[in-house]
Amino acid sequence: MAYEFPEGWRFRMTGWRKFFILVFLVAVGVMIYRLVYGLGAATHLNDQWPWGWWIAVDVLIGVALAGGGYSTAFLVHILHRKQFAPVARAALLTSMLGYILVLIGLFMDIGRWYNFWRPFLVYPGSWHSVLFEVFWCISLYTMVQVLEFGSIVFERVKSDWLKRVFDAMLPPLFILGVVLPTLHQSSLGSLYVVTVDRLDPLWWSIALPIFFLLSSFFVGPAMVTLEGSLAAKAYGRQMEIPVLSRLVKVGAWVMFIYLVLKLIDLGYRNQFGHLFDGSLESNLFLLEIVGGVIVPMIMFAIPSVRNSAGGLITASVLTVGGVILNRMNVVFTGMAAAMGGHYFPKWTEFMVTAGLIALAVLAYCFLVENFAILPAEEHVPAGKPSEAHTSYTVVG
Amino acid sequence: MKGVLVDITRCVGCGSCVVACKLYNNLPWSNAPHLGKDAVLTADNWTVVKEFDVSKGKESVWRFVKEQCFHCLEPACASACFAAAFRKTPEGPVIYNERVCVGCRYCMIACPFSIPKYEWQARFPRVQKCQMCFYRVKDGEMPACVSVCPAGALKFGDRDALLKEAKERIAQNPGRYVNHVYGEKEYGGTCWLYLSDVPFEQLGFRTHVSTESIPHVSERVTKWTLPVAGGWAAVLTALYLATKGSGGAEKSH
Amino acid sequence: MEVEKLLEEALKQKEVTRRTFLKMMAGLGLAGLAGSVGGCLRQHEVAAGGEGWLPYQYDVAGTWPAHVRGRVPIDPSNPSIMRDDRKCILCGQCLEICHRVQSVYGYYELPIRDDIVCINCGQCSLACPTGAIQERDDTEKVLKALKDPNKFVVVQTAPSIRVALGEEFGMPPGTWVTGKMVAALRRLGFHAVLDTNFAADLTIMEEATELIKRIKGELPGRPLPQFTSCSPGWVKFCEYFYPDLLPHVSSCKSPQQMFGATVKTYYAEKRGIDPRKIVSVSIMPCTAKKFEAQRPEMISARKYWEKKKGPDFAKDVTRDVDIVLTTRELAKLIKQAKIDFPRLPDEDFDPLMGKCTGGAIIFGASGGVMEAAIRTAYFFITGKEPPPQLLDLKPIRGLASVKEAAVDIPGAGTIRVAVCQGMAASRQVLDIVRAGKAPWHFVEFMACPGGCESGGGQPRSSVPQANEVRAKRTASLYAADARWVWRESHENPDILKVYQDFYGHPMSELAEELLHTHYTSRADKLKAIQPSEKEKPWEQYYPARLTPEI
Ligand code: SF4
Ligand code: SF4
Ligand code: SF4
Ligand code: SF4
Repeated sequence: MAYEFPEGWRFRMTGWRKFFILVFLVAVGVMIYRLVYGLGAATHLNDQWPWGWWIAVDVLIGVALAGGGYSTAFLVHILHRKQFAPVARAALLTSMLGYILVLIGLFMDIGRWYNFWRPFLVYPGSWHSVLFEVFWCISLYTMVQVLEFGSIVFERVKSDWLKRVFDAMLPPLFILGVVLPTLHQSSLGSLYVVTVDRLDPLWWSIALPIFFLLSSFFVGPAMVTLEGSLAAKAYGRQMEIPVLSRLVKVGAWVMFIYLVLKLIDLGYRNQFGHLFDGSLESNLFLLEIVGGVIVPMIMFAIPSVRNSAGGLITASVLTVGGVILNRMNVVFTGMAAAMGGHYFPKWTEFMVTAGLIALAVLAYCFLVENFAILPAEEHVPAGKPSEAHTSYTVVG
Repeated sequence: MKGVLVDITRCVGCGSCVVACKLYNNLPWSNAPHLGKDAVLTADNWTVVKEFDVSKGKESVWRFVKEQCFHCLEPACASACFAAAFRKTPEGPVIYNERVCVGCRYCMIACPFSIPKYEWQARFPRVQKCQMCFYRVKDGEMPACVSVCPAGALKFGDRDALLKEAKERIAQNPGRYVNHVYGEKEYGGTCWLYLSDVPFEQLGFRTHVSTESIPHVSERVTKWTLPVAGGWAAVLTALYLATKGSGGAEKSH
Repeated sequence: MEVEKLLEEALKQKEVTRRTFLKMMAGLGLAGLAGSVGGCLRQHEVAAGGEGWLPYQYDVAGTWPAHVRGRVPIDPSNPSIMRDDRKCILCGQCLEICHRVQSVYGYYELPIRDDIVCINCGQCSLACPTGAIQERDDTEKVLKALKDPNKFVVVQTAPSIRVALGEEFGMPPGTWVTGKMVAALRRLGFHAVLDTNFAADLTIMEEATELIKRIKGELPGRPLPQFTSCSPGWVKFCEYFYPDLLPHVSSCKSPQQMFGATVKTYYAEKRGIDPRKIVSVSIMPCTAKKFEAQRPEMISARKYWEKKKGPDFAKDVTRDVDIVLTTRELAKLIKQAKIDFPRLPDEDFDPLMGKCTGGAIIFGASGGVMEAAIRTAYFFITGKEPPPQLLDLKPIRGLASVKEAAVDIPGAGTIRVAVCQGMAASRQVLDIVRAGKAPWHFVEFMACPGGCESGGGQPRSSVPQANEVRAKRTASLYAADARWVWRESHENPDILKVYQDFYGHPMSELAEELLHTHYTSRADKLKAIQPSEKEKPWEQYYPARLTPEI
């Protein structure tokens, strides 16, 4: 397949992009401040709330939302459902960027950052730690994604030899690229298994890893949809509605399984009474389940809804919101009663997150404008997308 | 395995133990109260004596609870640490090594008693908690705090013997104690044991908790990691190979 | 370990060539890397925890002293004393005093109830070598009152201040500094500088009268022996441990409280001062006085004005004694105000409540209250001046923990008295009274060994108070008594005047109202432990002298 790349590297400056650059630069300042003066100076974290905004948003939510990468990869590269291929590269890109941000966020959050490499060494007993598994998996998976992406990079950076090397690596990478996220998406849930008796029983469950895994899987299609719609808007393109519509249908099935398991789990642990007792916890839980799972699941299930851009986007927003709320609930709502104390993030904490997102947006723009990531326009309009020939283009 | 038996009915709230801990471990005095109703464990307060005004029958009474790390038999903090900065020693104390600590604070989340605290104001903060005076205990000496208790509220010894003694004290003084040795079974058991005459939940203890240790709970999950990884990889490979021909776009370049 | 071995090997080589040197350095580098990766680079760590993993930072014994003991519990809301934990070295001196000398700590069963048992005597603050235990500092309150133009601040000073205050300014123990003290108080801005000794004389008038009435059986329900009531630490001790003996305790308030009640009534009326404006400050050698002033019943002046001018007026009349400062706090105030104390001129107390007798002066020493009471009782019973040996009642003077005497008073027969100092030793006498075997008519109790002159608020030394210092202060008090114009309380012209113009006579209705009080059993605060018969832990400090020497 032939690619046409424009001459030289391009990066269009717009007002928005200048703004994002500014946000990023401020965040860099904040990050330096944090690394030099420590967590106490740069955050409102405290002994009651050792984990806060960065872990919740930059790590837990970041990883979950980057789940679009592996769920799409699973469909496209493992199951060879080529009908989903048009969105695969974009999903990989956003996922990779997401994971890089997660790693930066994690680095910001560890207090003795010069020791960040320690967990790569295996000390007696350290492998029992859930975090050990999470750390290894996330790091490896980020590497896997970078390598996968290498194949795209070397389309443009003309080196057929390197491109061949990378392509040869792809099949095992695809498999690793699904195994690793499966492990750590679930392990992020396992992290909170230790909070038995403290995390509110609406969320605590020995099956937390399964719930985290499933929700990261079904949030994938919703995230891909949202990225697609944003990219479409930004680059004046059409959304890949037929592809997305099928994708979210898969998502809806997973949501259904998730919901059923959740209900069985609650019933098994006798928590239905708590579910409707009107407490803050129960209300937020209901909001998360009804607004973030049941409603979008039904919307995705109705063909007319999921085939319209509006319906698709609305349901996706709900799904993503539901998963965000779920992670927030686990970190904050569910732990509040047991932890006591008070925590509200400092502006610097928000700033770092904002800066990281700005960085991601800028990187995304640069990469889709210089590498073949979004599908070529001619395949897009209505009807069945071609299953045999997916080609990508450089936008701009 | 050594331990300490804390008999809350004997504590007079003098705070000698708190001062002993500060002196022995060279801990700075901070503004966080170390005695009284607002006493809190912090990175500098490895132990505090907390006051509770409670009712016992018709009487209203003051009770003092010496708080510090429980030195779990199977410590959550150690199992949670991905750098193995916490370790359970054969002598009993659960100790911490700042050199390998990454500062992720998962131990603080994992500890069911919310014991480990963080040096938030430091550039490279350490996690801090009672070390059960490891070097003293290793040499057969009692911890600093135990050695100064004037009221005999603290007793150091072999955990098994202390547990036996605790039960004897309950049996021999009918009505004096609530029939429970806190730390015998909580989260798999702890080296520090408590006796009390008022229900433990009134004294800030987490009661009716799991008797399974936290490492056990999380092992119920983590034991699946390798099988799942292997199995899943095999399944994926099979799926990959089985469906390879169906699309065909992959090999197009 | 590794590193040391390498170094040793290298040093063993006779000749360090470039090669061996580089080899050694490379080896050291590797070992260092391995060591730091393993978190271990210190020799003894291997032995301690094994496996090359050990925190080294806990191997520091810190400032841990060789001999440590516990300390007494102190309630953070204790009105008398507080502790700065940063200074505590766990030396256990406070415990020693509280347990052995005062028999408070360790004399109640555990678990405790809703009180941290403390008689507020402050002896622990004298014993504490680092100054960790000190009085609750009320100097700020005084400075605030002095700055308030709407207040009339009167101050009273207890008998034993004047033989100890000088020590704070480099003078030897026992130096008589009454005049300088009055001058200093004036310079601090107090509006009237008056003398607790006046009230001590008043106490004797009341207490001697009460004693005679008890002996005559005119006071049903008030048995013999009568106990003195001017040491608030002792009173609280009795309320805790001997509540059954409370009827023995004289109903007379302590001089401090008699003074407070009188200053806001009699003095206010005489001088035409609005009692609502009076802030009554007292300078005491005693931390328990801070507690006493806050006892709920110590608002007699307010009640007096309520009757006289109605509740609206009276509600702004504050406590009889508003603020109590210790000798040490007064010294602090004087130093803060940069007053050159030793060079001050001698000045006199203000009129109306400023005169005293020798009998009042010796209130500051153990046995003094008793001696003064005997002098006046003798006069009340016989109508004659006491004989000279009663003006120098040696058997009940001195530092023995329990002293006895028998005095023949014509018309009343032999009056037997006992004098106790330190609460542990006092238990012997109390137990005899409890057993109903008491031969005495009158017993004096002072919570602090030595009496007020070595009270918990007096200047302290870095070592526990020596009996030498006590003896010097005591001697100075008795010397003043010996040279005083008036020796017996009933000779005090100010006293005669206050009865003439105000109270009428001792134990009159008004006197009962303002100068007498009642006590509260604190039995519900603890379950007392009786010490064993043989155990006399105070003996090593203050041996008892129970054989009467007359
Ligand atoms: S109480 Fe907490 S910090 Fe102490 S050993 Fe147990 S888990 Fe670790
Ligand atoms: S055992 Fe040692 S470290 Fe722990 S509280 Fe007691 S004195 Fe402190
Ligand atoms: S030293 Fe003993 S009596 Fe004093 S507070 Fe500590 S445990 Fe209680
Ligand atoms: S005397 Fe002072 S330093 Fe010594 S134990 Fe008591 S409070 Fe601490």
